[in-house]
Amino acid sequence: MPAHRQLAGIVGVPPLAVMKELNNPAITIVDLDEPQGRIDLESASPFLPRVYCGILRTVIANSLSLKPDIIYIDTGPGKCDCAIHTATVLEDILPDTQIVRCKNQDSADFGVSLCRTRMDLVEKMSAITSAVQDVNPLREHTPCQATAGFWGVPPRDFSLLSLFPDTTHIYGWTRCMENKTPDNMSMESHYNPDIPTVFFAQSFCAKTALARHLAARHPHGLYLDCDVTAGNSAKAKIQAFLELSGV
Amino acid sequence: MLLADFGTSYCKLLDTSSGEPPRLIPTREFDRSIQVDIATGHNGKRYAQQYVNELTALARGGLSLIQESSFTLLDCGSRDIKYVIYEDGKIKDMGWNAECGASMGFTIELLERYYTLDFTKLEVPKTSFSITCGVLGMSHIFDAVITGESEAEAVAKFVKGIAINAYNFAKRPQNLYLSGGLCDNPLFIGSFPCSVVSLGRFVLLEGLQPNAR
Repeated sequence: MPAHRQLAGIVGVPPLAVMKELNNPAITIVDLDEPQGRIDLESASPFLPRVYCGILRTVIANSLSLKPDIIYIDTGPGKCDCAIHTATVLEDILPDTQIVRCKNQDSADFGVSLCRTRMDLVEKMSAITSAVQDVNPLREHTPCQATAGFWGVPPRDFSLLSLFPDTTHIYGWTRCMENKTPDNMSMESHYNPDIPTVFFAQSFCAKTALARHLAARHPHGLYLDCDVTAGNSAKAKIQAFLELSGV
Repeated sequence: MLLADFGTSYCKLLDTSSGEPPRLIPTREFDRSIQVDIATGHNGKRYAQQYVNELTALARGGLSLIQESSFTLLDCGSRDIKYVIYEDGKIKDMGWNAECGASMGFTIELLERYYTLDFTKLEVPKTSFSITCGVLGMSHIFDAVITGESEAEAVAKFVKGIAINAYNFAKRPQNLYLSGGLCDNPLFIGSFPCSVVSLGRFVLLEGLQPNAR
């Protein structure tokens, strides 16, 4: 272990065994999927196309700026194919950083009580993404009656979540994330047909196909994709959909 | 109560107490000191006490004017296109394209003036250009004119391309209700590969009425 505090980046949800290793006072964990302060996303453009998943562009921009000592990147079915190529790019542009490709196929359920509890949706999403770093059993939250649904990954821009009521239940990959089973297709495909649900995916992400497919099957679903930031039209769609659905 | 739909090219105003029909004012001539009670449209927040989202106004306008429980309503404005789909009385889908499908209406208006055309006299062409947005699509016109096609034919193919793009965006319905300024353009309406019912320019204003009551 080096004398300085080691910086470990994570991409996606690394396996629990990896997270247990990283839960060490000498290691600072940084979630590279999320914007980390004022890091210019354009710094990723020489290495990834601009028309690419906004989250993986964020990973590259964060990595270039923070230069972690080590990066654990999930390149398995619990993340996406694009992460495989992003790992290759990281290996090339950060020769001093150790890039560790992992495949999280954990199947032990940690529970999804945050997804079902009454809480401001931005706070709820932040709590779920933060919990990735926590290896202990999560605190149980009281479930609430759902009035709306949000299906998908944690968006690059959390501001779109502020339009939802605090009784919104979370579905899709975010639910798998809370459960610490990111490769759980059955859980990812689950939705509640009785509540109006927004099926969200990042633009240019392979999950757009699943989001559109499920939105079409849902009796009251709306498909939505956004790139880096949620524009006025995306926010207007959410607002109108919820309002016209009586939420 | 004064209601307004602040569009990019035209503002539509309705004074609900006057009994008069709505007024149409070119946006560049609109008195910017005026404040209205309820507004929609992309400039609406600046001039109104209460603002209603454009998609909400479109949907409510459609619900008021269309006597069916399942319908697709598409609004083609100067700057953007948007649609709502209702199925059995419930909102099923909606879309708002302000980027890739941008400036379609405005470009059609510009072309009519630049080439001094009359869209009521142009025939719907058999073929069209593949258009994704008004600005990028114009190069097709220039290319066609250079290779000997008449300006009128080239613009008509452009307009048809825009109509087909809007039709695809609205998920290719069999019957389409249309709102917005392009309702007055017979070439545009005739270019859709489905039946079209024009509802005119004031659907969004109609959609503000529930907020006024």
